[in-house]
Amino acid sequence: MGTILIVDDTLFMRTLLKNILFSGGHAIAGEAANGEEAIAKYKELKPDLVTMDVVMPKVNGIEALKAIKEFDPAARVIMCTAVGQEQMVKLAIKSGAKGYIVKPFQAPKVLEEVKNVLAS
Amino acid sequence: MTDVPVKIEHEGKWVVVQASIGEDRITFPAPANKEVIFKSVFDLEEKKSILIIAVKGTPDTVIRLASVEKVLIVLKRLILAGCNAYRLMAYFMSPAIRGGVLAKNAQWEKGSIVVVKTGIWFVSASKQICIPLKDVAAIELTQRDVQGKQTDVVRIDHVESGEVVSSLVLCPLSTLQVLSNYLKDATKGMDMKGNELDAIGQQVAMLVYSGMDSHAIENMLNLPHKQLDEIYDRIIKLGIAEVVIIRREVQLTTKGVRYISDATKTQTNSN
Repeated sequence: MGTILIVDDTLFMRTLLKNILFSGGHAIAGEAANGEEAIAKYKELKPDLVTMDVVMPKVNGIEALKAIKEFDPAARVIMCTAVGQEQMVKLAIKSGAKGYIVKPFQAPKVLEEVKNVLAS
Repeated sequence: MTDVPVKIEHEGKWVVVQASIGEDRITFPAPANKEVIFKSVFDLEEKKSILIIAVKGTPDTVIRLASVEKVLIVLKRLILAGCNAYRLMAYFMSPAIRGGVLAKNAQWEKGSIVVVKTGIWFVSASKQICIPLKDVAAIELTQRDVQGKQTDVVRIDHVESGEVVSSLVLCPLSTLQVLSNYLKDATKGMDMKGNELDAIGQQVAMLVYSGMDSHAIENMLNLPHKQLDEIYDRIIKLGIAEVVIIRREVQLTTKGVRYISDATKTQTNSN
């Protein structure tokens, strides 16, 4: 179990992830609606894990991931994007992402991925 | 010919026989007395270690047989190589994504795709995976990064034990188009226009997809129970969801209130 920062520009997806993670016994450290906010919240909250949407306004998920990894090389970040954008995987992994989930996702698999990444 | 023990369904009962497997046929002796020539097989399904073989004839026949995994693997390989089906050599990755999470150690495998009447088989030296057409949720001709190059692939999403699994097929574009069109045609009964549900209906469907229960959906979308019920009615009517459980809400009777009051008193006193 860990503290998790949820980053997504849509309230709906944040709420969904919050419910899934909460049902898995995780604590929600906070939420951010764009990359800029995500970087600031990461520095403030130092969560155990971040779920990061890729496509977001202002600073996108990949840029936010890079900034977080620069601040904390041990940061655990799971990237999250829509189906058909899986080509971003390589870039995200190269930038330090520990895992990747594709929307729409199913709760048990998300929890499994979170568990694996938290254990890494 | 190689003889192997199999159980075959004969007149509603399972009987054990020594089946003889040849290069182009399999023969079942008495009491089954059947012969299956592989090229006359037009469908092959596997359900819980039972092979269901549909054979062209007058009339068409369906043979159900069971055996140890080793024998079934050989039988499937021979039947799929020789049956009457749409077959193509391809690279495939199955599963590539499971429940929205990229499958660990997913790799492209060289093999063949065999499309029979009710399903798609992915066959390689180490795998025999069948996706029933009725479980295919989406087919898309798309692009993926393959060895650093954007490459055309067909993505097939299917439902497996309640999980959505995506598989990828890679072969020349013209073949991919034929495969994609064939599969779209074979599953067109499931096509929808996309405007059957309003925004709230789509959100409910998405939450159901993600595994949320009614209570969580009501809380997340701030929906009264009655409105959620109406949305459920709509999505059930559209055939995109089905009822799996009916839960009850209850309130305590006077007797129940008394029981709880007494129980609380007992607890308080004993503390």
